Amino acid sequence: MESLISTFHIDWKIIIAQLINFGVVILVVYVFALKPLKKLMSERSSKIARGIHDAEANAEILKATTTEYDKALREARAKALIIFNEGKKEAEEKRNELLSQTATEVEEMIASGKKALETEKEKMLLDAKKEVASLVIQATQKILETEDTSNIEEKVAGVIKTI
Amino acid sequence: MTPEHNEIVDEVIDDVIALESLENQEISHEITLHAEPVTAIGNFPVTNALITAWATVVIIIVFVAILRTRLKEIPRGIQNFFEYIIDGALSLSDQVTNDRSVSEKAFPLVFSIFLFILINNWLGILPFGGFGVIHQESGVSSFIPFLRSGTADINTTLALAILSVIAANVFGILSVGIWKAFNKYINLQTFVHAAKNIRKDPTVLVVAPVSFFVGVLEIISEFAKVASLSFRLFGNVFAGEVLLLAMAAIFTYILPVPFIFLEIFVGLIQAFIFSILVLVYFTIAAQDHDEHEEEERHSKVSPHHNDRGVVIN
Repeated sequence: MESLISTFHIDWKIIIAQLINFGVVILVVYVFALKPLKKLMSERSSKIARGIHDAEANAEILKATTTEYDKALREARAKALIIFNEGKKEAEEKRNELLSQTATEVEEMIASGKKALETEKEKMLLDAKKEVASLVIQATQKILETEDTSNIEEKVAGVIKTI
Repeated sequence: MTPEHNEIVDEVIDDVIALESLENQEISHEITLHAEPVTAIGNFPVTNALITAWATVVIIIVFVAILRTRLKEIPRGIQNFFEYIIDGALSLSDQVTNDRSVSEKAFPLVFSIFLFILINNWLGILPFGGFGVIHQESGVSSFIPFLRSGTADINTTLALAILSVIAANVFGILSVGIWKAFNKYINLQTFVHAAKNIRKDPTVLVVAPVSFFVGVLEIISEFAKVASLSFRLFGNVFAGEVLLLAMAAIFTYILPVPFIFLEIFVGLIQAFIFSILVLVYFTIAAQDHDEHEEEERHSKVSPHHNDRGVVIN
């Protein structure tokens, strides 16, 4: 042991000095480099992790929103189709109703028109008859005024033509 | 002329004579196994290896100060490089320890050791070896360079090895508890276990003394660790310095250049080996041997079954 110490000049004072040197190194490296750097790195990592988590959450929300949007859109389309079909059906019914109503009204109008025409015709006939009667009476009166009753019918007719 | 003036004149004459004798003498430049004292503070010898170690400390402090002032959330330049190194070193440590928490706890010491050894190794290669002092002893003048690799002095490597082994043991005590750590070296637990199980298993009477002896071997191995760590590093770096000097003696120009590159590589490798070994010691110290034995015993008692129910031994 003695020879080892003397050969290599092992000196406890230098060993302690080197221990102090290394102590300073480890202190400086740990306190001023590794510790703050580790803190910074872990903060950054947590930020990145949080960012990724948020992005994933946002993606999930976006996916859910898209699904919801698609679902709502599908439902709205289905509803719109139902409403459209209902409307179409209602409109068809209304149209048919209006058409039938119009047809009925037209028929009624035609009927009433016919009736009015019939009445008018009857009235005209009646008037004509009255006219004819009065003409006959007038003609008869005129013939009778001439007191010649022969060929009375021809005379009446001739009188009526002159009137 | 006063007596004081006479003294000054005598001193000047002595110096001139000494210089003349130096010019006439041949100055030897031999590399010694030990670090040469450049000067002394009281009775404390300041060796060239110690000066290199101080230079290393200063370099590390300057580097850390630059890094500290440039720390930003978004890394750039030196911080980027340092983060890359730390990240890579931590991943490498994980491969050794298989446990991130052990890696993180041992990392500051291991990384500091790596930096300290690496810079010490490389400083010794720098061509500042030409600067030094001429030391006269018993009429022989010898040149002592200011710089010599800190690790080319056994005192430095011994200091690092002692610190590493003590730190590993302290780490072991903190990890597995003082009782288990104590029993690793002075295995009293094996006798307690033997006393309890002597009726069930009489072979413990043989196993217990063997286990105790293994503990004694563990104590010896701790000293062996100090010796192997310190002498490996010292031997390699010192051999490198001798090699460079030998090459320069053969042919001063060009010839040492490839060997300088070799020494740069050797310096890196040696720093790496020392650090990894310290990490391995930390990992071993953090392991609970009882748990391992229990696991092994358990695996022997209840053999594994695969998913088809077939016994796997």
